[in-house]
Amino acid sequence: MGFLTLASLSKVYGDHAAVRDVDLSVAKGEFVSLLGPSGCGKTTTLQMIAGLVEPTRGTITLDGRDITHEKPNTRGLGIVFQSYALFPHMTVAQNVAFGLEMRKVARAERDKRVKTMLGLVHLAQLADRYPRQLSGGQRQRVAIARALVIVPPVLLLDEPLSNLDAKLREEMQFELRRIQQSVGTTTIMVTHDQAEALSISDRVVVMEQGRMTQIDAPYRLYEHPATAFISSFVGKMNRLDGVWRGQGPSGTAQINGVSLPCEQASFPDGQTVALSLRPEKILLRAHGQGRVDGTIVNRFFLGSYWLFTVETPVGALSVSVPNHGEEPAGEGDAVALDWTPASLRVEAITATAGAAA
Amino acid sequence: MSRARSALTPWLLVSPGALLFLALVIVPLVLTVILSFHVYDHGTGIKNEFTLAHYLAVVTDDYYLGIFWRTLRVAALTTLLCALIGVPEAYILARMRDPWRSVFLLVIIGPLLVSVVVRAFGWSMLLGSTGLVNQALQALGFGTVKLLYTETAIVIALVHVMLPFMVIPVWTSLQRLDPAVEAAAWTLGASRFTALRRVVMPQVSMGMLSGSLIVFGLSASAFAIPGLLGGRRLKMAATLVYDEFMHELNWPLGATIAIIVLVANLVIMLAYNRMVEARARRTLG
Ligand SMILES: Nc1ncnc2c1ncn2[C@@H]1O[C@H](COP(=O)(O)OP(=O)(O)O)[C@@H](O)[C@H]1O
Ligand SMILES: [Mg+2]
Repeated sequence: MGFLTLASLSKVYGDHAAVRDVDLSVAKGEFVSLLGPSGCGKTTTLQMIAGLVEPTRGTITLDGRDITHEKPNTRGLGIVFQSYALFPHMTVAQNVAFGLEMRKVARAERDKRVKTMLGLVHLAQLADRYPRQLSGGQRQRVAIARALVIVPPVLLLDEPLSNLDAKLREEMQFELRRIQQSVGTTTIMVTHDQAEALSISDRVVVMEQGRMTQIDAPYRLYEHPATAFISSFVGKMNRLDGVWRGQGPSGTAQINGVSLPCEQASFPDGQTVALSLRPEKILLRAHGQGRVDGTIVNRFFLGSYWLFTVETPVGALSVSVPNHGEEPAGEGDAVALDWTPASLRVEAITATAGAAA
Repeated sequence: MSRARSALTPWLLVSPGALLFLALVIVPLVLTVILSFHVYDHGTGIKNEFTLAHYLAVVTDDYYLGIFWRTLRVAALTTLLCALIGVPEAYILARMRDPWRSVFLLVIIGPLLVSVVVRAFGWSMLLGSTGLVNQALQALGFGTVKLLYTETAIVIALVHVMLPFMVIPVWTSLQRLDPAVEAAAWTLGASRFTALRRVVMPQVSMGMLSGSLIVFGLSASAFAIPGLLGGRRLKMAATLVYDEFMHELNWPLGATIAIIVLVANLVIMLAYNRMVEARARRTLG
């Protein structure tokens, strides 16, 4: 049994189920991300844990204690809101001290803990500023300090980085992980940004339309997405439709008469299949030396890598190639594409899978 | 040429407003000030001589000072009651969902669509010695109370009239407050009441300030309600000025009282504004 457990947790608004039968068990000290597109019920799930939204069904257990119907002010969880929700009329230090004040911590002790916490988030110099005098990244750190100073058993973060610009977001991502690891607090972070979820979480929970569809470690999620939706939502993915030719494991997937070998797949002859292949798993070769030949139609330079769109007999494929410092083949060049059979995933397209995609 | 035009444009743009203000506010005010220094004779009327006698007469006469004091008391009490009722009302309104919010907003603003005179008559019927309130008291076994023609009646009716002017600015400032801020206070361990006191109240103080200024100013210069619910004997500043002009025909004295009330009102409101705004600026900026 986990430290924080959600059991068939649901929230229904009128006739619309925002969250449906969510089961999740989070271990102590773990960093879990809830990942999903906007409107899939991430915030609702987080607010049910926080006690700000009353669940329609299900239970929430924290360290063996049922907290499903407990008031938010007695749960003692730390929450960082998407808007940060800092108290605008209080200084940074007063904001951080608020939770301790509510716990009737003595003045001297309070000041000491606020100071330590502000040091941890690198805000010691700004203790006497008001929130409006801070930048977005500084506000976010005040919000984290305010939530962490009460030493909560669980820290809940609702899209904590989405209000920051791209560069700062990347820095704060690792900063967040550093702070979390140094305090060791069990953390649940909500995000719609897959890169953010993959880079700093121990486990990622993918939500689709109120349901949790996959719970896995980031690299497993990336390599073995459970649904078509996840494979397109997490990372870039080439998707091709083909037909299985030959009986069982000895057959191959075919697109427009081109056979594409793959490992560990077995379907009846004539089964329509979906093939998925990550752009970075494809190698660019000289014309005639790969599995399929093609022509480069687009080339984009993205700093650390090049992104090509290659038109081939099996369809257009995205290919990403690390930047080695020399200019690679350009638009219009004839090339060939190669990949290992293991990196090509083949799934049967059934009526329901087609509807989900 | 274009430079000359750009320098003139702002002046041209403000001139219609400025002229209107000058004609409708400044000119009558200056005339009133001049009038207040004129000598008045009961036999012959206003003379073309100047004196300070009216000002001296007003500030040394207990009758007038009593009325000023009552005006101040009634206006302050009305402002206080409006704040006590209006702020929670605005909070509840802000937390309501549509369609209820629209319905209750209409209920609060609705009275503004009815003439003050009509509403004052309504209250006088309710509060009279045989009115609904006294009938109810009698039915419950209490004796009748004299309500009409007392300060109580004036305050009750003023609160009713002024409440929207408190609710609306407070409601507006609550609209600007992120509801997550209050939720953040709860999650940090604050009870609902503590969150209201420590987090919500400081945020609405500017709305309360503007509401209080409007309510105080309008109550101190109210005419119809003290006129109809205070009766002939219980006077407030505005009814006193009216009497001097229309019954005593002593226009200079009426003008003097009007000017004194205006200045006093201005001083009180500016002082209050400075005090609260300075505090708000320290914390809100
Ligand atoms: N108070 C509410 N009343 C009705 N519907 C709501 C309410 N809050 C959220 N929803 C609905 O629930 C769904 C999930 O919302 P939310 O949890 O905020 O999504 P996310 O945070 O993943 O973007 C959305 O379709 C939203 O419209
Ligand atoms: Mg959300």
